[in-house]
Amino acid sequence: MGEDIFSSVINTVKIVIIFLFMVHMVPLLVWVERRASAFMQNRFGPNRVGPFGLTQLLADLVKFIFKEDFASSKTNKFYFYLAPVLAIIPVALAFGSLPLSSPIYIDSFQLFGYSLGPYLFEIRSFPMDVGIIFVFGVSSLAVYSLLLAGWSSGSKFSLLGALRASAQAISYELALSLSLLGVLILFNTFSFDQIIEMQNQSLNFQFFSKEIKINFLPNWGIFYQPLGALLLFVALFAEANRLPFDLPEAEAELVAGYHTEYGGIKIIIFYMGEYGHMLVASSLMVILYFGGYNLYPLLNEEILQSWLLPNFSLTATSLLTSLILFLCFFLKVLFFLWVFIWVRWTLPRFRYDQLMDLGWKTLLPWSLFNAIATAVVIWLVNWGNA
Amino acid sequence: MTPFLFYTLSFLALYGALNTIFRKNPITCAMHLALTMVALAGLFFNIGAYFIAGVQLVVYAGAVMVLFVMVVMLFDNKQTSETKDNKHMAVKVFISVFMLGILSGVIPHSTGFTNKIVAPEVTPTKSLATLLFSDYVLFFEWIGVLLMIVAVGVVLLSRSEDS
Repeated sequence: MGEDIFSSVINTVKIVIIFLFMVHMVPLLVWVERRASAFMQNRFGPNRVGPFGLTQLLADLVKFIFKEDFASSKTNKFYFYLAPVLAIIPVALAFGSLPLSSPIYIDSFQLFGYSLGPYLFEIRSFPMDVGIIFVFGVSSLAVYSLLLAGWSSGSKFSLLGALRASAQAISYELALSLSLLGVLILFNTFSFDQIIEMQNQSLNFQFFSKEIKINFLPNWGIFYQPLGALLLFVALFAEANRLPFDLPEAEAELVAGYHTEYGGIKIIIFYMGEYGHMLVASSLMVILYFGGYNLYPLLNEEILQSWLLPNFSLTATSLLTSLILFLCFFLKVLFFLWVFIWVRWTLPRFRYDQLMDLGWKTLLPWSLFNAIATAVVIWLVNWGNA
Repeated sequence: MTPFLFYTLSFLALYGALNTIFRKNPITCAMHLALTMVALAGLFFNIGAYFIAGVQLVVYAGAVMVLFVMVVMLFDNKQTSETKDNKHMAVKVFISVFMLGILSGVIPHSTGFTNKIVAPEVTPTKSLATLLFSDYVLFFEWIGVLLMIVAVGVVLLSRSEDS
């Protein structure tokens, strides 16, 4: 947790705040989703409660909380209540290990007669050397929630939804892992910090022992791995069960799929899981392919410090830097969240065989090709150096 | 490695493993097996074998067990949980005792476990990869071939003769 009471308290508060941040994105995203869909379909959307209908979600939440906690007699009670919990734990763990901003440095100071510090706090719940592996490890557990929800509900629709969900999750997990290989070979590390650090410079690479450098472009993964980024994004859509991959809850065929029998606060927790997945997916895209919290030529830790350090103390500079970089990260993430919503209201749902064809016959071969091509190209351009 | 985490995770792993054997409901068994897998992954994390821990989570807990649960869900649970298979009891007991004998014969020859986990000089993942593709490359490839044979066999068996 930390070396002394102060750092332990800060770390605990940090974990709680990051979790609450994730949870509080849900009503906002639901609002954006409903307003955006209304805009795209030439409707009004929620616009009565509060300014722009913003407090509609608060009203909904109150309704959901006070709804009767109902479980039909056919359900297996233990797993029925366990499923929503399992939906949110993997997402919270995955989100907790992502670096959201530059670390905060707190200079030594006096508090109640004790001299404390200096400290360095990372903006994430817990440090994880093997960030990518950990994130994919825990997110792959999220499918249990869908399976158990479907099975324990004791309803045919739920069971069918759960079967679709598990088949889909397993099929797309292969493409997901393989599309990542390219970026792993490129950056040669599992750690998010190192990946962000490597993208925090101008675009430069070795081309047959010639140094090529483009100063106005950042060294982002997207310039090396456009295909990998696209494949990963599509696979993440499928993992998050978002339209056009939302067959587990296709309402035209399955009522509401795996969560047909759920209501009240339990369904809210499922929503938290789904939107949490979107948040993790968008953050992953930003960290792996779009430079994380840095915006290289304009905004990074050194540039901000050179502006702020003459006017503020070391601690204040670090805090402000972290805040500004967090906003930068957040704006990038918001863009991808918007793409998630945009796609949902633009594309129709796949048929089940189309879904499986896309997963096994398109994404899987292309991601394999991407991994092998990346390895071969990196081996070739480094020919002279070896 | 923290002793508290070690004992908690070991308890979870053993609890899950025992419940996998002794519970009647197949879904409960499968979920407890998944719990064992996750606890094992936690133990791997605890000793710093991050890559193996992640692979344990992705492959075993995230894919293999999901397939198990999916298949079990397709069965009619009321029938399977009530059947009691008492046939060939002598053979089963013999095999169990035989395996137990082999295991207890091996234990005295074990080199024992060191209490200290030494922090490796290089990243464990990198050294693992180097070992896999240098000293053990033959075994690595053999396992690949074995999996390939299994995959081809499954496709062959699941197809009917005429198609």
